[in-house]
Amino acid sequence: MALSPLKAEHAAETDFESEKIVKFVVVRNGEEDHAEKDELKSFEAALLPHLDAAHNLARWLLRNEEDAQDVVQEAYLRAFKSFSGFHGSNGRAWLLTIVRNTCYTLLKKNRAVDLTTTFDEEIHMSGHESVSPATILEHSEDAELIREAMDELPTEFREILALRHQEDLSYKEIAEIAQIPQGTVMSRLARARAKLKECLAARIGKEK
Amino acid sequence: MNCEEATKLMDGYLDGELDPITSQAIEQHLRGCRNCDQAYKTHGSLIRAIGNTTPYYKAPAGLRERIQASLREEIAERPARNGGRDAQPQFPRRQPEPRTILWGASWNWLALAAAVIFAAIIALNLVPRWQQPAADQFLATQLIASHVRSLMASHLTDVASTDQHTVKPWLDAKLDFAPPVADLSSEGFPLIGGRLDYLDSRPAAVLIYQRRKHFINLFVWPAEPNASRATKAMSRQGYQLLHWVDSDFNYWAVSDVSANDLQTLKQQFEGQTSHH
Repeated sequence: MALSPLKAEHAAETDFESEKIVKFVVVRNGEEDHAEKDELKSFEAALLPHLDAAHNLARWLLRNEEDAQDVVQEAYLRAFKSFSGFHGSNGRAWLLTIVRNTCYTLLKKNRAVDLTTTFDEEIHMSGHESVSPATILEHSEDAELIREAMDELPTEFREILALRHQEDLSYKEIAEIAQIPQGTVMSRLARARAKLKECLAARIGKEK
Repeated sequence: MNCEEATKLMDGYLDGELDPITSQAIEQHLRGCRNCDQAYKTHGSLIRAIGNTTPYYKAPAGLRERIQASLREEIAERPARNGGRDAQPQFPRRQPEPRTILWGASWNWLALAAAVIFAAIIALNLVPRWQQPAADQFLATQLIASHVRSLMASHLTDVASTDQHTVKPWLDAKLDFAPPVADLSSEGFPLIGGRLDYLDSRPAAVLIYQRRKHFINLFVWPAEPNASRATKAMSRQGYQLLHWVDSDFNYWAVSDVSANDLQTLKQQFEGQTSHH
């Protein structure tokens, strides 16, 4: 008998607390809409300015406009879903990492197709020894020629050239995006540039 | 350093990505080795030329809207999905008898945990904002907005000219101050033109420089007499901002180029304008 008032008091207290908590939960649910809109707003402010960079990278990696647009849209969705985990200040590098990964997912899916278009060293090893750097330089304003030569390169070379020459990213940022050690960036970039020169020389040699 | 090593490191040197000691070693080698020096110069000019000509695929019209629409769709679908994921018995969204579930100690702990997490989220969101003075933050937001706006369609320049002697008089005539204008094309920052803007409650001059494929907006307006002379570098939303003040003017450079490039621009700009 002596215990029952205590019990009742305790019950009342707990009850009171749980009412407060219910309110708290309700308020939180109501705020959720706002929070989501704010999240979307800050996401768009941080990442939509890098849309051109995202599209450019996807376009070079996939060599196809339609795929590039699909991948960029998919990448933005993926980025939005993990935006709460992004605390860095370099939104462009973060977005480009996601774009790059989304591109590779698609490329792997289409590997059969991609294999047929990979770099054929045999074809490019002959007939351009006579083309000097000066001659290549003369042709360096021919955007179409450069685009064709770039498109011939393997994916990893197109990727690193676009990131360095067009996005002006540092080796450190490139290493993060391409998921390679920083030391590999320089050697891969050197190989990519050498290969691009070869491809240009081959094309110019053929024209002659 | 021998020729083989120099050749291996040439691309890193060209990109300004080597540490100072290695850079010096290469420089020394290039001074002494005519072959490598020639190869370096040819490689450099060729790489720059190719880089400048490579087509840049800007996002086509409509892609932005398409993405925005898909993001909104994603949000609209969320509550349904969250309902599934959050369907823990402790969070009573649609339970008819709350008491039986709310009862017990675990609920209180959960509420406490939720409150702590909620407070932590708020604190984490607010702390970085306290670290920089609010006025600078606000100005930085305005500057980035102006930079982004300037790159949409054709808002970049009011006067498009690579000639400082065209840009300067044009700005002078439109403003109540005469901003310094420098041509930095030989330093790799060609002048694209000038623009007028309104910032921090006053008209400002904007000089537009190009760095490879990227644009730099350099905002200029008269400095307050007792303004702090500290140089500030900030990184926000993927953009770099660099602020400095000289005896007459306030400068804010905004771009998506690297922080180092902005520092170089500042040095070159100061070098060209200080003796006037």
